Amino acid sequence: MRNQHDNTFADLDWTMVIIYFLLVGLGVMNIYSAVYDPEHPSLFDQVTQHGKQITWIGVSLFLGIAIMFLETSFIKKYAYWFYWITIMLLIAVLFMPAVKGARAWFGVGSFGIQPAEFAKIGVSLALARYLSSGDLYKGKTRSASVSFWQSIGKLRNIGPLFALLLIPAALILMQPDAGTFIVFTSFILVLYREGYAGNILLFLIIAVIIAVITLVVADSSFMIPGLKIKLSGKTGIVVSLLILGTIFYFLIRSFILPRNRPPLYRALIGSLIVAIVFVNFIEIGYSKILMTHQKERIDLVLGKIDDPDGKGYNINRAKASIGSGGFAGKGYMKATLANETQAHVPMQSTDFIFCTWSEEWGFIGSFLLVIVYTVLLLKMIIIAERQRSDFTRIFAYCVTGIFFYHFMINIGMAIGLAPVIGIPLPFFSYGGSSIMSFSILYFILLKLDAERKVVLQ
Amino acid sequence: MNNLDNRKYVIILMILLVSLIFVTRLFYMQVIDEKWKDRAAEISENKVITQPARGVVYDRNGEKLISNVVYYDLRIVPNQAIGIDSAALVELLDITMEEYVKKMNAARKYSKRKSSELVTQIPPDEFTLIAPELYKFPGIFEVERTLRVYPKKCGAHILGYMNEVNKNDIEKNAYYKSGDFIGRMGIERSYEEVLRGKRGVKYYLQDAIGVETGRYENGKYDTLAVQGKSITLGIDWELQSYIESLMQNKLGCVVAIEPGSGEILAMVSAPTYDPNLLVGRRLGENYSSLEKDTLLPLFNRAAGATYSPGSTFKLLMALIAMQEGVITPETGFPCNQNLVGCHNHGSARTVSDAVKMSCNPYFYQATKRIIHQGKSTNGFKDAAIGMDIWASYVKSFGIGTDLHIDFPGVMKGFVPNTEYYNKIYNQYGWQFETIYSISIGQGEVLVTSIEMANLAAIIANRGYYHYPHFVKDIDGTGTPDIYMQKNYTMVDSQFFAPIIDGMWRVVHEPGGTGSKARIDSIAVCGKTGTVENSKIINGKTARMTDHSVFTAFAPMEKPQIAIYVYLENSGFGGTWAAPLASLAIEKYLTGEVSDTAKENRILNANLIPDASDILPPKEPKRRRR
Repeated sequence: MRNQHDNTFADLDWTMVIIYFLLVGLGVMNIYSAVYDPEHPSLFDQVTQHGKQITWIGVSLFLGIAIMFLETSFIKKYAYWFYWITIMLLIAVLFMPAVKGARAWFGVGSFGIQPAEFAKIGVSLALARYLSSGDLYKGKTRSASVSFWQSIGKLRNIGPLFALLLIPAALILMQPDAGTFIVFTSFILVLYREGYAGNILLFLIIAVIIAVITLVVADSSFMIPGLKIKLSGKTGIVVSLLILGTIFYFLIRSFILPRNRPPLYRALIGSLIVAIVFVNFIEIGYSKILMTHQKERIDLVLGKIDDPDGKGYNINRAKASIGSGGFAGKGYMKATLANETQAHVPMQSTDFIFCTWSEEWGFIGSFLLVIVYTVLLLKMIIIAERQRSDFTRIFAYCVTGIFFYHFMINIGMAIGLAPVIGIPLPFFSYGGSSIMSFSILYFILLKLDAERKVVLQ
Repeated sequence: MNNLDNRKYVIILMILLVSLIFVTRLFYMQVIDEKWKDRAAEISENKVITQPARGVVYDRNGEKLISNVVYYDLRIVPNQAIGIDSAALVELLDITMEEYVKKMNAARKYSKRKSSELVTQIPPDEFTLIAPELYKFPGIFEVERTLRVYPKKCGAHILGYMNEVNKNDIEKNAYYKSGDFIGRMGIERSYEEVLRGKRGVKYYLQDAIGVETGRYENGKYDTLAVQGKSITLGIDWELQSYIESLMQNKLGCVVAIEPGSGEILAMVSAPTYDPNLLVGRRLGENYSSLEKDTLLPLFNRAAGATYSPGSTFKLLMALIAMQEGVITPETGFPCNQNLVGCHNHGSARTVSDAVKMSCNPYFYQATKRIIHQGKSTNGFKDAAIGMDIWASYVKSFGIGTDLHIDFPGVMKGFVPNTEYYNKIYNQYGWQFETIYSISIGQGEVLVTSIEMANLAAIIANRGYYHYPHFVKDIDGTGTPDIYMQKNYTMVDSQFFAPIIDGMWRVVHEPGGTGSKARIDSIAVCGKTGTVENSKIINGKTARMTDHSVFTAFAPMEKPQIAIYVYLENSGFGGTWAAPLASLAIEKYLTGEVSDTAKENRILNANLIPDASDILPPKEPKRRRR
């Protein structure tokens, strides 16, 4: 066998390293512009966010190099340990004093740790370990298309799988940190790729569509033309579903051989029932359970309310900032909305960091940044697919999923396509915990990938 | 695991799809849709209009008649205005609680973070009392603005005032925006475009609260405010102020002109008021009280009122008659009181005599000769011819014509002519006997005081006049050309000598009607007038005390001042108007007054008409032709 230490850097994917430095470098530059304070003009000034960000990058690089010198078997062996440690941290943090209504931090201000960030690493490692252990072979589907009931049956066998995911997710939700909780749904991507959730994913997507439509019409009502009866929007959906069901019934009757019909009929009725229950569930949840400000956030994305300066203040300022960038932007340090002195965009250095960049570099800049992230994500998939080791592949997809979610929601939120969930843009947003956890995920991936040619780990 | 391998393509597709959606959306937002750019500009950019200082107005000696002074607006920021003792505040600011509540509610509705008006246009003297107390009221701060001040406190009718523009003003002239001020009445109005200057604009960047953070494009688009040009008027403020004090407790007007230039030295309308009343936050209530005053202090009698000239008009009659050749300076007429009533005096054997004695029948007969020149054997047709001749003469003296005065609201006198009398009496239905009153300055003839002061100037100049005007200089460019030209009347200068001689005798010879106008060291030439008038009271016409009138110029050789004094319902011209005129003349020419008893008598006289001025009806005069 080759000495692993000698060849640590031989197969390291240097493109990924370059992308890393590119993103953190541009990130620091961008933060500098977003929070520029003439009294602390030095890039490295530790009082400023960009100064601190550089420190955090330094720490992350140190950790990254340390990871490079770990053995991959070490990583795999202690995957579960790491997982349980993060679980304990997640429980412990719930006993900390609340900061701004959430119990999410250990420590003080900028020198604290957010367990939720590290939970992502723990869960990824644990999931990779669990799914690669071979115990669950019988749970996997061999073909992509399988009946709904079969999928449900498979799921019963892999309850622990969901527990692995749901325990930390629930603990995070208890903080409460809805944003990070939602990122946990990115693990479904991994499950999908590994064959566990094919049709589930399909149904989930349909469910989301139904949910969105329900939410849009939840508060409204309409009149039946001709009759003078007023119906709630929800009823309208149910009626539409029933009509759809009837159409499918006739389709099945027309095109399917009689002997194959019964399972489809069962599936149809089953899905209708589930759908109607789901609609009601969503509607009740929206009208009665959600808090007002959450309801408003949803309304804003759906376009139900339109207010330039009220509840949608964040989004509108963000969109205005981005939109005003034009084709080529206003120039470095020349943003007139997303900057420190004028501060029209809230959380300019964290959640809305994309705004400063877009405003200053225009469409060219924002286009290029999207391309860089897309390339990054695709590279991660390439890395994942070239692994011989299941563990690495699964871990790679976890990382891809997490990065994809952050990318999708953070930028989507800034341009008004997603509800405002405060999650950072990887390597770009300011934040010690975020930089560190993304870096650790990233470097573990690179390390594992660098060992891909080593015979079975 | 081929099928599962396909799944990776699904994932890749999803990532690409999301990126594509983002890029498309970004393209739309940043390149195509202008709305965000506009919205961003709306949020982050703003502009402030800088108002220029208005032009200063000086009198002929360089004294400031109108200048600018700093006033204060108080503004309030609702978010910061917590825990205010509103009772103490309304007392300090001298407003009512209702006003305060109304303003607060409007401010809250507009914006909790930005400031709104609370009380505006507080004069500096009031503000010095408010300023030290402001610290007690958080969220309230002051902003400066400049408003007008009238340091000499005189000339209200000349100078005018300013207030906020209304819809009409904005419609008529696109320069004005809501909130601007515009001149009303007087010089402020007639020279509005000169005085107002040009506003500037400063573009700046603002932060999320609306606080300014920096210049926009380094001020590339900013324009500086241009101060209004200053104007020098021909007015002598000391004369103006002195005449105003003489005119207290009287109704009427005085106009004084410098004959050699046509510059108006003073224009007084009584009653008058302190122009500073119509500035600042008190403007509204002060204007209201002035408007309600039955003596009409806001009305400019000197420029806007037409009166019967009375005997002062006779000067003109004699001039026309001499020029027409129907009399000579040596012509005499008997004082035939069957023609028209007269007072007791010796015979008027010359024009000069007639002027000195102010003989009504003399001028009756002289004027008759103008009207009836024998150009037609038919008296009615003859009158029709003569009348128009007469009218054209009168008009050549600037009466009933446009005198091109640089002043708003100037009335013209009325000169009756053939067409006019035809309307009343039908064509050829009238002759001189019908209309004879015009020969003594009563009847249909109406004049303004400016026109009569101008007449005095014409006589002083021996036959020509400059258009009377206020402006002496605009921003160093001198007097406009139109006022430099000499306008000649239809009467040759040779015929002015007997008139002037007579006017001198009016004042200096015993038996002259204007002896009270005598000043020891100055040769004053004048003519008295005592104007009959009536008023409708309770639906019936009632005769009132005569108006007292005096027209004059001085000194006789090289006159410096021509003046016309008109005192309503006060009596004989020689009793009141003459002495008042002489005081003004003396004050102007020498700077002081020698006869303080005369001065005190005039100062203390209260000539405002009351019930005692309603006279019993006159006995109809029996006249024999």
